[in-house]
Amino acid sequence: MSAPSAPAAQPAHADSARIRVRSLGKRYGALEVFRNIEFDVGAREIVAIVGPSGCGKTTLLRCIDGLLPHDTGDIWVGDARVEEPIAGVAMVFQHFGLFPWKTVFDNVAYGLRMAGAARTEIERKVPEFIKMVGLAGFEKAFPYQMSGGMQQRCGLARALAVEPSVLLMDEPFAAVDAQTREILQFELLRIWQERPTAMIFVTHSIEEAVLLGHRVIVLKGRPSSIHEIVEIDLPGPRTRATLQLPRFAELRERVWGTLMREAREAEFQLERA
Amino acid sequence: MPFILLRRHAPFLLSLIGGLAIWEIAGRMTSAAFMVPFSVTLVRLWQLVVHGNFIAQFLESAELFITGFVLALAVGAPLGMLLARVRAVRVGIEPYLMLIYATPMVALIPFILSMMGFGFAPKVLVVFLFGVFPVIYNTVEGARSIKPELIEVARSFRSGEWPLWREVMLPYTLPYLMTGVRQAIGRSLVGMIAAEFFLSSTGLGQLIMGASQDFDTAGVFATIFVIGLIGVGLMRLGLEIERRFARWRQ
Repeated sequence: MSAPSAPAAQPAHADSARIRVRSLGKRYGALEVFRNIEFDVGAREIVAIVGPSGCGKTTLLRCIDGLLPHDTGDIWVGDARVEEPIAGVAMVFQHFGLFPWKTVFDNVAYGLRMAGAARTEIERKVPEFIKMVGLAGFEKAFPYQMSGGMQQRCGLARALAVEPSVLLMDEPFAAVDAQTREILQFELLRIWQERPTAMIFVTHSIEEAVLLGHRVIVLKGRPSSIHEIVEIDLPGPRTRATLQLPRFAELRERVWGTLMREAREAEFQLERA
Repeated sequence: MPFILLRRHAPFLLSLIGGLAIWEIAGRMTSAAFMVPFSVTLVRLWQLVVHGNFIAQFLESAELFITGFVLALAVGAPLGMLLARVRAVRVGIEPYLMLIYATPMVALIPFILSMMGFGFAPKVLVVFLFGVFPVIYNTVEGARSIKPELIEVARSFRSGEWPLWREVMLPYTLPYLMTGVRQAIGRSLVGMIAAEFFLSSTGLGQLIMGASQDFDTAGVFATIFVIGLIGVGLMRLGLEIERRFARWRQ
Protein backbone atom coordinates (compact mmCIF):
# COMPACT_ATOMS: atom_id res chain seq x y z
CA MET A 1 0.00 0.00 0.00
CA SER A 2 1.63 3.27 -1.09
CA ALA A 3 0.55 6.86 -0.56
CA PRO A 4 -3.16 7.43 0.05
CA SER A 5 -5.01 8.25 -3.11
CA ALA A 6 -7.82 10.74 -2.99
CA PRO A 7 -11.00 8.97 -4.05
CA ALA A 8 -11.84 11.57 -6.64
CA ALA A 9 -14.70 11.78 -9.10
CA GLN A 10 -13.36 9.11 -11.47
CA PRO A 11 -14.50 5.63 -10.51
CA ALA A 12 -11.87 4.00 -8.35
CA HIS A 13 -12.81 0.50 -9.50
CA ALA A 14 -11.61 1.33 -12.98
CA ASP A 15 -7.93 0.57 -12.22
CA SER A 16 -7.80 -3.00 -10.98
CA ALA A 17 -10.56 -5.09 -9.52
CA ARG A 18 -9.51 -6.74 -6.27
CA ILE A 19 -12.82 -8.56 -5.81
CA ARG A 20 -14.90 -9.90 -8.68
CA VAL A 21 -18.34 -11.35 -8.03
CA ARG A 22 -19.96 -13.11 -10.98
CA SER A 23 -23.57 -14.36 -11.30
CA LEU A 24 -23.57 -15.30 -7.63
CA GLY A 25 -26.57 -17.12 -6.20
CA LYS A 26 -27.36 -18.60 -2.80
CA ARG A 27 -30.24 -20.60 -1.43
CA TYR A 28 -31.11 -22.15 1.92
CA GLY A 29 -33.08 -25.23 0.85
CA ALA A 30 -36.24 -23.96 -0.80
CA LEU A 31 -35.53 -20.34 0.14
CA GLU A 32 -33.55 -18.47 -2.49
CA VAL A 33 -31.66 -15.65 -0.77
CA PHE A 34 -30.16 -13.79 -3.76
CA ARG A 35 -29.46 -14.42 -7.41
CA ASN A 36 -27.27 -13.13 -10.20
CA ILE A 37 -25.16 -10.80 -8.08
CA GLU A 38 -22.38 -9.21 -10.14
CA PHE A 39 -20.02 -6.46 -9.14
CA ASP A 40 -16.33 -5.58 -8.82
CA VAL A 41 -14.47 -3.84 -6.03
CA GLY A 42 -11.28 -1.95 -6.87
CA ALA A 43 -8.09 -2.39 -4.89
CA ARG A 44 -8.65 1.01 -3.32
CA GLU A 45 -12.38 1.25 -3.33
CA ILE A 46 -15.11 1.18 -0.72
CA VAL A 47 -18.32 -0.40 -1.93
CA ALA A 48 -21.29 -0.05 0.38
CA ILE A 49 -24.19 -2.48 0.22
CA VAL A 50 -27.58 -1.30 1.51
CA GLY A 51 -30.88 -3.08 1.55
CA PRO A 52 -33.85 -3.71 3.78
CA SER A 53 -33.33 -6.12 6.68
CA GLY A 54 -33.55 -9.72 5.60
CA CYS A 55 -32.45 -8.98 2.03
CA GLY A 56 -29.39 -11.19 2.43
CA LYS A 57 -26.61 -8.60 2.57
CA THR A 58 -24.93 -10.28 5.51
CA THR A 59 -25.30 -13.67 3.81
CA LEU A 60 -23.68 -12.21 0.69
CA LEU A 61 -20.77 -10.87 2.75
CA ARG A 62 -20.29 -14.22 4.48
CA CYS A 63 -20.19 -15.92 1.09
CA ILE A 64 -17.50 -13.49 -0.03
CA ASP A 65 -15.52 -14.25 3.15
CA GLY A 66 -15.82 -17.94 2.35
CA LEU A 67 -17.71 -18.67 5.57
CA LEU A 68 -20.75 -19.85 3.63
CA PRO A 69 -20.79 -21.88 0.41
CA HIS A 70 -22.58 -20.30 -2.56
CA ASP A 71 -24.69 -22.24 -5.03
CA THR A 72 -24.05 -20.58 -8.39
CA GLY A 73 -21.48 -18.21 -9.81
CA ASP A 74 -17.97 -17.32 -8.70
CA ILE A 75 -16.18 -15.07 -6.26
CA TRP A 76 -12.61 -14.05 -7.04
CA VAL A 77 -10.24 -12.20 -4.75
CA GLY A 78 -7.23 -11.39 -6.89
CA ASP A 79 -6.40 -14.68 -8.58
CA ALA A 80 -7.93 -16.81 -5.86
CA ARG A 81 -11.37 -18.32 -6.18
CA VAL A 82 -13.18 -18.12 -2.84
CA GLU A 83 -14.50 -21.43 -1.53
CA GLU A 84 -13.33 -21.08 2.05
CA PRO A 85 -11.78 -18.20 4.00
CA ILE A 86 -8.59 -17.09 2.23
CA ALA A 87 -5.57 -15.15 3.38
CA GLY A 88 -5.59 -11.41 2.81
CA VAL A 89 -9.29 -11.05 3.55
CA ALA A 90 -10.40 -9.92 7.02
CA MET A 91 -13.86 -9.41 8.42
CA VAL A 92 -15.20 -7.05 11.08
CA PHE A 93 -18.28 -8.52 12.76
CA GLN A 94 -21.55 -6.89 13.70
CA HIS A 95 -21.40 -8.03 17.32
CA PHE A 96 -17.63 -7.49 17.46
CA GLY A 97 -16.84 -11.20 17.82
CA LEU A 98 -14.18 -10.54 20.44
CA PHE A 99 -13.02 -13.43 22.62
CA PRO A 100 -14.20 -12.39 26.10
CA TRP A 101 -11.39 -14.24 27.90
CA LYS A 102 -8.68 -12.49 25.89
CA THR A 103 -7.33 -9.01 26.55
CA VAL A 104 -7.33 -6.31 23.88
CA PHE A 105 -3.73 -7.23 23.07
CA ASP A 106 -4.49 -10.93 22.70
CA ASN A 107 -7.63 -10.29 20.67
CA VAL A 108 -5.73 -8.09 18.24
CA ALA A 109 -2.92 -10.65 18.11
CA TYR A 110 -5.36 -13.48 17.30
CA GLY A 111 -5.40 -13.09 13.53
CA LEU A 112 -1.62 -12.77 13.38
CA ARG A 113 -1.20 -15.90 15.50
CA MET A 114 -3.56 -17.86 13.28
CA ALA A 115 -1.53 -16.68 10.31
CA GLY A 116 1.57 -18.12 12.01
CA ALA A 117 3.32 -14.82 12.70
CA ALA A 118 6.47 -14.91 14.81
CA ARG A 119 6.37 -13.63 18.38
CA THR A 120 8.61 -10.67 17.59
CA GLU A 121 6.37 -9.67 14.70
CA ILE A 122 3.29 -9.86 16.93
CA GLU A 123 4.94 -7.77 19.64
CA ARG A 124 5.89 -5.15 17.08
CA LYS A 125 2.64 -5.01 15.11
CA VAL A 126 -0.08 -5.37 17.73
CA PRO A 127 0.73 -2.13 19.63
CA GLU A 128 0.91 -0.30 16.31
CA PHE A 129 -2.65 -1.27 15.36
CA ILE A 130 -3.98 -0.76 18.88
CA LYS A 131 -2.63 2.77 18.63
CA MET A 132 -4.08 3.24 15.15
CA VAL A 133 -7.64 2.58 16.37
CA GLY A 134 -7.13 4.78 19.45
CA LEU A 135 -6.99 2.06 22.10
CA ALA A 136 -3.46 2.75 23.37
CA GLY A 137 -3.40 2.22 27.14
CA PHE A 138 -6.13 -0.43 27.01
CA GLU A 139 -3.89 -3.34 25.96
CA LYS A 140 -4.65 -5.29 29.13
CA ALA A 141 -8.40 -4.53 29.29
CA PHE A 142 -10.94 -7.29 28.76
CA PRO A 143 -13.88 -6.77 26.39
CA TYR A 144 -16.43 -6.71 29.23
CA GLN A 145 -14.60 -3.73 30.72
CA MET A 146 -15.07 -1.64 27.57
CA SER A 147 -17.94 0.18 25.84
CA GLY A 148 -19.36 -1.13 22.58
CA GLY A 149 -17.48 1.51 20.61
CA MET A 150 -14.17 0.50 22.15
CA GLN A 151 -14.92 -3.16 21.55
CA GLN A 152 -15.49 -2.50 17.87
CA ARG A 153 -12.26 -0.49 17.69
CA CYS A 154 -10.62 -3.64 18.98
CA GLY A 155 -12.44 -5.73 16.36
CA LEU A 156 -11.22 -3.34 13.68
CA ALA A 157 -7.62 -3.50 14.94
CA ARG A 158 -7.78 -7.31 14.86
CA ALA A 159 -8.83 -7.23 11.21
CA LEU A 160 -6.30 -4.52 10.25
CA ALA A 161 -3.45 -6.31 12.02
CA VAL A 162 -3.27 -9.07 9.41
CA GLU A 163 -2.77 -6.27 6.84
CA PRO A 164 -5.48 -7.55 4.53
CA SER A 165 -5.97 -6.39 0.96
CA VAL A 166 -9.71 -6.83 1.46
CA LEU A 167 -11.78 -5.67 4.45
CA LEU A 168 -15.31 -6.98 4.87
CA MET A 169 -17.45 -4.93 7.24
CA ASP A 170 -20.68 -6.56 8.41
CA GLU A 171 -22.80 -3.71 9.82
CA PRO A 172 -19.88 -2.97 12.12
CA PHE A 173 -21.42 0.09 13.76
CA ALA A 174 -25.01 -1.16 14.06
CA ALA A 175 -24.59 -2.22 17.68
CA VAL A 176 -23.20 1.08 19.04
CA ASP A 177 -24.99 4.30 19.97
CA ALA A 178 -25.53 7.12 17.46
CA GLN A 179 -22.72 9.45 18.55
CA THR A 180 -20.18 6.65 18.79
CA ARG A 181 -21.28 5.45 15.40
CA GLU A 182 -20.55 8.83 13.85
CA ILE A 183 -17.14 9.04 15.51
CA LEU A 184 -16.24 5.55 14.31
CA GLN A 185 -17.32 6.31 10.74
CA PHE A 186 -14.83 9.17 10.48
CA GLU A 187 -12.16 7.14 12.29
CA LEU A 188 -12.65 4.42 9.68
CA LEU A 189 -12.32 6.96 6.87
CA ARG A 190 -9.12 8.31 8.44
CA ILE A 191 -7.64 4.83 8.78
CA TRP A 192 -8.65 3.95 5.23
CA GLN A 193 -6.88 7.09 3.98
CA GLU A 194 -3.73 5.89 5.76
CA ARG A 195 -4.04 2.34 4.45
CA PRO A 196 -6.42 2.06 1.53
CA THR A 197 -7.78 -1.44 0.83
CA ALA A 198 -10.64 -2.91 -1.07
CA MET A 199 -13.60 -2.71 1.29
CA ILE A 200 -17.15 -3.98 1.24
CA PHE A 201 -19.26 -2.21 3.85
CA VAL A 202 -22.67 -3.71 4.57
CA THR A 203 -25.13 -1.44 6.34
CA HIS A 204 -28.82 -0.67 6.58
CA SER A 205 -28.08 3.03 7.04
CA ILE A 206 -28.36 4.97 3.79
CA GLU A 207 -26.46 7.91 5.25
CA GLU A 208 -23.58 5.65 6.27
CA ALA A 209 -23.50 3.97 2.86
CA VAL A 210 -23.35 7.30 1.00
CA LEU A 211 -20.78 8.79 3.38
CA LEU A 212 -18.38 5.83 3.20
CA GLY A 213 -18.94 4.29 -0.21
CA HIS A 214 -17.41 5.21 -3.53
CA ARG A 215 -20.28 3.24 -4.93
CA VAL A 216 -23.48 2.10 -3.22
CA ILE A 217 -25.11 -1.16 -4.22
CA VAL A 218 -28.82 -1.39 -3.54
CA LEU A 219 -30.07 -4.95 -3.03
CA LYS A 220 -33.70 -5.57 -3.89
CA GLY A 221 -36.49 -8.10 -3.61
CA ARG A 222 -36.97 -11.69 -2.56
CA PRO A 223 -34.84 -13.36 -3.71
CA SER A 224 -32.76 -10.22 -3.80
CA SER A 225 -30.64 -8.99 -6.66
CA ILE A 226 -28.79 -5.78 -7.41
CA HIS A 227 -31.33 -3.09 -8.11
CA GLU A 228 -29.01 -0.19 -8.72
CA ILE A 229 -25.36 0.75 -8.32
CA VAL A 230 -25.02 4.43 -7.44
CA GLU A 231 -21.71 6.19 -8.11
CA ILE A 232 -20.98 8.42 -5.13
CA ASP A 233 -19.04 11.28 -6.72
CA LEU A 234 -18.31 13.11 -3.48
CA PRO A 235 -14.84 14.62 -3.16
CA GLY A 236 -12.32 12.94 -0.86
CA PRO A 237 -11.07 12.73 1.73
CA ARG A 238 -14.50 12.77 3.25
CA THR A 239 -15.01 14.53 6.56
CA ARG A 240 -17.82 15.91 8.63
CA ALA A 241 -18.06 18.74 6.11
CA THR A 242 -19.08 16.15 3.48
CA LEU A 243 -22.36 15.69 5.34
CA GLN A 244 -23.22 19.35 4.61
CA LEU A 245 -22.71 19.19 0.84
CA PRO A 246 -25.83 19.55 -1.31
CA ARG A 247 -24.52 16.68 -3.42
CA PHE A 248 -24.49 14.44 -0.32
CA ALA A 249 -28.17 15.22 0.30
CA GLU A 250 -28.99 14.55 -3.36
CA LEU A 251 -27.26 11.16 -3.38
CA ARG A 252 -28.83 10.19 -0.09
CA GLU A 253 -32.28 11.04 -1.46
CA ARG A 254 -31.55 9.06 -4.59
CA VAL A 255 -30.63 5.91 -2.66
CA TRP A 256 -33.50 6.54 -0.28
CA GLY A 257 -35.92 6.79 -3.20
CA THR A 258 -34.70 3.51 -4.67
CA LEU A 259 -34.97 1.73 -1.35
CA MET A 260 -38.37 3.15 -0.44
CA ARG A 261 -39.83 2.26 -3.81
CA GLU A 262 -38.59 -1.22 -3.09
CA ALA A 263 -39.96 -1.18 0.45
CA ARG A 264 -43.38 -0.05 -0.75
CA GLU A 265 -43.46 -2.75 -3.40
CA ALA A 266 -42.53 -5.35 -0.81
CA GLU A 267 -45.24 -4.12 1.52
CA PHE A 268 -47.71 -4.22 -1.32
CA GLN A 269 -46.76 -7.79 -2.17
CA LEU A 270 -47.24 -8.79 1.45
CA GLU A 271 -50.70 -7.27 1.51
CA ARG A 272 -51.70 -9.16 -1.63
CA ALA A 273 -50.32 -12.42 -0.35
CA MET B 1 -10.69 -2.34 61.40
CA PRO B 2 -11.09 -5.52 63.49
CA PHE B 3 -14.31 -4.01 64.75
CA ILE B 4 -15.67 -3.65 61.19
CA LEU B 5 -14.59 -7.21 60.42
CA LEU B 6 -16.32 -8.39 63.56
CA ARG B 7 -19.52 -6.59 62.60
CA ARG B 8 -19.51 -8.01 59.09
CA HIS B 9 -19.07 -11.56 60.33
CA ALA B 10 -21.21 -11.19 63.48
CA PRO B 11 -24.30 -12.99 62.07
CA PHE B 12 -22.16 -15.93 60.98
CA LEU B 13 -20.28 -16.13 64.29
CA LEU B 14 -23.49 -15.88 66.29
CA SER B 15 -25.13 -18.63 64.25
CA LEU B 16 -22.01 -20.81 64.64
CA ILE B 17 -21.94 -20.35 68.42
CA GLY B 18 -25.72 -20.89 68.60
CA GLY B 19 -25.52 -24.09 66.53
CA LEU B 20 -22.70 -25.52 68.63
CA ALA B 21 -24.57 -24.57 71.83
CA ILE B 22 -27.71 -26.39 70.65
CA TRP B 23 -25.58 -29.43 69.75
CA GLU B 24 -23.94 -29.33 73.18
CA ILE B 25 -27.25 -29.02 75.09
CA ALA B 26 -29.08 -31.59 72.97
CA GLY B 27 -26.15 -33.98 73.39
CA ARG B 28 -26.19 -33.65 77.15
CA MET B 29 -29.94 -34.26 77.32
CA THR B 30 -29.84 -37.38 75.14
CA SER B 31 -28.58 -40.85 75.93
CA ALA B 32 -24.93 -41.25 74.96
CA ALA B 33 -25.96 -44.28 72.88
CA PHE B 34 -27.68 -41.99 70.36
CA MET B 35 -25.89 -38.68 70.47
CA VAL B 36 -22.92 -37.02 72.16
CA PRO B 37 -22.35 -33.31 72.79
CA PHE B 38 -19.85 -31.21 70.83
CA SER B 39 -17.27 -31.17 73.62
CA VAL B 40 -17.24 -34.97 73.90
CA THR B 41 -16.93 -35.23 70.11
CA LEU B 42 -13.86 -33.00 70.15
CA VAL B 43 -12.24 -34.96 72.98
CA ARG B 44 -12.90 -38.25 71.21
CA LEU B 45 -11.46 -36.86 67.96
CA TRP B 46 -8.31 -35.86 69.83
CA GLN B 47 -8.01 -39.38 71.29
CA LEU B 48 -8.51 -40.97 67.87
CA VAL B 49 -5.83 -38.77 66.34
CA VAL B 50 -3.28 -39.27 69.11
CA HIS B 51 -3.89 -42.87 70.16
CA GLY B 52 -5.89 -44.38 67.31
CA ASN B 53 -5.15 -44.75 63.63
CA PHE B 54 -7.26 -41.79 62.53
CA ILE B 55 -4.47 -40.16 60.48
CA ALA B 56 -3.66 -43.38 58.63
CA GLN B 57 -7.34 -44.00 57.81
CA PHE B 58 -7.75 -40.39 56.78
CA LEU B 59 -4.85 -40.67 54.32
CA GLU B 60 -6.25 -43.90 52.93
CA SER B 61 -9.57 -42.17 52.25
CA ALA B 62 -7.78 -39.21 50.75
CA GLU B 63 -5.91 -41.47 48.34
CA LEU B 64 -9.17 -43.08 47.24
CA PHE B 65 -10.92 -39.72 46.86
CA ILE B 66 -8.11 -38.08 44.89
CA THR B 67 -7.58 -41.04 42.55
CA GLY B 68 -11.30 -41.33 41.72
CA PHE B 69 -11.80 -37.59 41.41
CA VAL B 70 -8.78 -37.02 39.15
CA LEU B 71 -9.92 -39.89 36.92
CA ALA B 72 -13.42 -38.39 36.76
CA LEU B 73 -11.90 -35.11 35.66
CA ALA B 74 -9.47 -36.68 33.17
CA VAL B 75 -12.23 -38.71 31.51
CA GLY B 76 -15.19 -36.36 31.98
CA ALA B 77 -13.73 -33.18 30.50
CA PRO B 78 -12.49 -34.61 27.15
CA LEU B 79 -15.56 -36.81 26.83
CA GLY B 80 -17.79 -33.79 27.42
CA MET B 81 -15.97 -31.82 24.69
CA LEU B 82 -16.28 -34.73 22.26
CA LEU B 83 -19.96 -35.15 23.08
CA ALA B 84 -20.58 -31.50 22.33
CA ARG B 85 -18.51 -31.26 19.16
CA VAL B 86 -18.68 -34.67 17.45
CA ARG B 87 -22.14 -35.80 16.45
CA ALA B 88 -21.24 -39.47 16.06
CA VAL B 89 -19.92 -39.63 19.63
CA ARG B 90 -23.06 -37.94 20.93
CA VAL B 91 -25.47 -40.23 19.11
CA GLY B 92 -23.49 -43.35 19.92
CA ILE B 93 -22.63 -42.81 23.57
CA GLU B 94 -25.20 -40.47 25.07
CA PRO B 95 -28.01 -43.06 25.57
CA TYR B 96 -25.67 -45.25 27.62
CA LEU B 97 -24.44 -42.29 29.64
CA MET B 98 -28.01 -41.31 30.42
CA LEU B 99 -28.80 -44.87 31.45
CA ILE B 100 -25.90 -45.03 33.88
CA TYR B 101 -26.57 -41.51 35.11
CA ALA B 102 -30.24 -42.25 35.78
CA THR B 103 -29.40 -45.42 37.74
CA PRO B 104 -28.87 -44.74 41.46
CA MET B 105 -25.14 -45.29 41.80
CA VAL B 106 -25.49 -47.19 45.08
CA ALA B 107 -27.55 -49.81 43.26
CA LEU B 108 -24.54 -50.54 41.04
CA ILE B 109 -22.24 -51.33 43.96
CA PRO B 110 -23.20 -55.01 44.38
CA PHE B 111 -22.57 -55.50 40.66
CA ILE B 112 -19.18 -53.79 40.90
CA LEU B 113 -18.39 -55.93 43.93
CA SER B 114 -19.16 -59.19 42.12
CA MET B 115 -17.25 -58.08 39.03
CA MET B 116 -14.16 -56.62 40.63
CA GLY B 117 -13.97 -57.86 44.19
CA PHE B 118 -12.66 -56.04 47.24
CA GLY B 119 -9.50 -54.29 46.02
CA PHE B 120 -8.65 -50.64 45.57
CA ALA B 121 -9.80 -50.50 41.91
CA PRO B 122 -13.54 -51.16 42.46
CA LYS B 123 -13.64 -48.45 45.11
CA VAL B 124 -11.96 -46.00 42.75
CA LEU B 125 -14.58 -46.94 40.16
CA VAL B 126 -17.37 -46.02 42.59
CA VAL B 127 -15.82 -42.61 43.38
CA PHE B 128 -15.24 -42.09 39.66
CA LEU B 129 -18.86 -42.91 38.77
CA PHE B 130 -20.14 -40.52 41.41
CA GLY B 131 -17.90 -37.69 40.21
CA VAL B 132 -17.77 -38.05 36.44
CA PHE B 133 -21.30 -37.02 35.47
CA PRO B 134 -21.30 -33.45 36.77
CA VAL B 135 -18.02 -32.96 34.90
CA ILE B 136 -19.40 -34.41 31.65
CA TYR B 137 -22.71 -32.58 31.74
CA ASN B 138 -21.32 -29.16 32.65
CA THR B 139 -18.63 -29.48 29.97
CA VAL B 140 -21.22 -30.43 27.35
CA GLU B 141 -23.43 -27.54 28.38
CA GLY B 142 -20.51 -25.11 28.15
CA ALA B 143 -19.19 -26.34 24.83
CA ARG B 144 -22.69 -26.31 23.32
CA SER B 145 -23.48 -22.79 24.47
CA ILE B 146 -20.50 -21.24 22.70
CA LYS B 147 -21.63 -18.38 20.47
CA PRO B 148 -21.58 -19.44 16.79
CA GLU B 149 -20.15 -16.02 15.97
CA LEU B 150 -16.93 -16.87 17.83
CA ILE B 151 -16.52 -20.07 15.81
CA GLU B 152 -17.13 -17.99 12.70
CA VAL B 153 -14.45 -15.49 13.75
CA ALA B 154 -12.03 -18.38 14.14
CA ARG B 155 -12.92 -19.75 10.70
CA SER B 156 -12.70 -16.30 9.14
CA PHE B 157 -9.13 -16.02 10.46
CA ARG B 158 -8.40 -19.44 8.99
CA SER B 159 -8.02 -21.30 12.28
CA GLY B 160 -7.30 -25.01 12.02
CA GLU B 161 -9.22 -27.55 14.10
CA TRP B 162 -6.59 -27.81 16.89
CA PRO B 163 -6.13 -24.02 17.29
CA LEU B 164 -9.93 -23.75 17.32
CA TRP B 165 -9.99 -26.03 20.35
CA ARG B 166 -7.00 -24.45 22.05
CA GLU B 167 -7.94 -20.82 21.48
CA VAL B 168 -11.74 -20.91 21.48
CA MET B 169 -13.49 -24.10 22.61
CA LEU B 170 -11.37 -24.85 25.70
CA PRO B 171 -11.14 -21.33 27.16
CA TYR B 172 -14.86 -20.83 26.61
CA THR B 173 -15.75 -24.14 28.26
CA LEU B 174 -13.36 -23.83 31.21
CA PRO B 175 -15.70 -21.91 33.59
CA TYR B 176 -18.46 -24.46 32.92
CA LEU B 177 -15.99 -27.28 33.53
CA MET B 178 -15.12 -25.65 36.86
CA THR B 179 -18.79 -25.66 37.87
CA GLY B 180 -18.68 -29.38 37.14
CA VAL B 181 -15.52 -29.73 39.22
CA ARG B 182 -17.18 -28.08 42.19
CA GLN B 183 -20.21 -30.37 41.97
CA ALA B 184 -17.98 -33.40 41.40
CA ILE B 185 -16.04 -32.68 44.61
CA GLY B 186 -19.20 -33.05 46.70
CA ARG B 187 -20.44 -36.13 44.89
CA SER B 188 -17.04 -37.86 44.93
CA LEU B 189 -16.97 -37.42 48.69
CA VAL B 190 -20.32 -39.24 48.91
CA GLY B 191 -18.93 -41.90 46.57
CA MET B 192 -15.86 -42.31 48.76
CA ILE B 193 -17.91 -43.06 51.89
CA ALA B 194 -20.32 -45.31 49.95
CA ALA B 195 -17.37 -47.30 48.57
CA GLU B 196 -15.83 -47.66 52.02
CA PHE B 197 -19.14 -48.78 53.49
CA PHE B 198 -20.20 -51.31 50.90
CA LEU B 199 -16.95 -52.59 49.41
CA SER B 200 -13.89 -53.51 51.48
CA SER B 201 -14.13 -51.42 54.59
CA THR B 202 -11.25 -48.94 54.82
CA GLY B 203 -10.52 -45.36 55.67
CA LEU B 204 -12.94 -42.98 57.33
CA GLY B 205 -15.84 -45.17 56.26
CA GLN B 206 -14.37 -48.05 58.22
CA LEU B 207 -13.88 -45.77 61.24
CA ILE B 208 -17.58 -44.90 61.21
CA MET B 209 -18.64 -48.54 60.73
CA GLY B 210 -16.26 -49.79 63.41
CA ALA B 211 -17.23 -47.12 65.94
CA SER B 212 -20.89 -47.77 65.26
CA GLN B 213 -20.49 -51.51 65.88
CA ASP B 214 -18.64 -50.78 69.14
CA PHE B 215 -21.44 -48.40 70.25
CA ASP B 216 -18.77 -45.68 70.21
CA THR B 217 -21.19 -42.87 69.32
CA ALA B 218 -18.54 -40.23 70.03
CA GLY B 219 -16.22 -41.91 67.50
CA VAL B 220 -19.01 -41.89 64.87
CA PHE B 221 -19.68 -38.21 65.53
CA ALA B 222 -16.00 -37.28 65.48
CA THR B 223 -15.46 -38.92 62.07
CA ILE B 224 -18.62 -37.48 60.51
CA PHE B 225 -17.64 -34.07 61.88
CA VAL B 226 -14.27 -34.24 60.12
CA ILE B 227 -15.82 -35.44 56.83
CA GLY B 228 -18.30 -32.57 56.99
CA LEU B 229 -15.53 -30.04 57.56
CA ILE B 230 -13.52 -31.42 54.64
CA GLY B 231 -16.62 -31.27 52.45
CA VAL B 232 -17.24 -27.64 53.31
CA GLY B 233 -13.57 -26.78 52.78
CA LEU B 234 -13.44 -28.50 49.37
CA MET B 235 -16.66 -26.81 48.27
CA ARG B 236 -15.23 -23.40 49.18
CA LEU B 237 -12.08 -24.26 47.28
CA GLY B 238 -14.21 -25.29 44.29
CA LEU B 239 -16.14 -22.02 44.42
CA GLU B 240 -12.89 -20.04 44.47
CA ILE B 241 -11.53 -21.98 41.48
CA GLU B 242 -14.80 -21.49 39.61
CA ARG B 243 -14.84 -17.76 40.29
CA ARG B 244 -11.23 -17.37 39.21
CA PHE B 245 -11.93 -18.94 35.81
CA ALA B 246 -15.25 -17.18 35.28
CA ARG B 247 -14.02 -13.63 35.68
CA TRP B 248 -14.73 -12.72 32.06
CA ARG B 249 -18.18 -14.34 32.05
CA GLN B 250 -20.48 -11.44 32.84
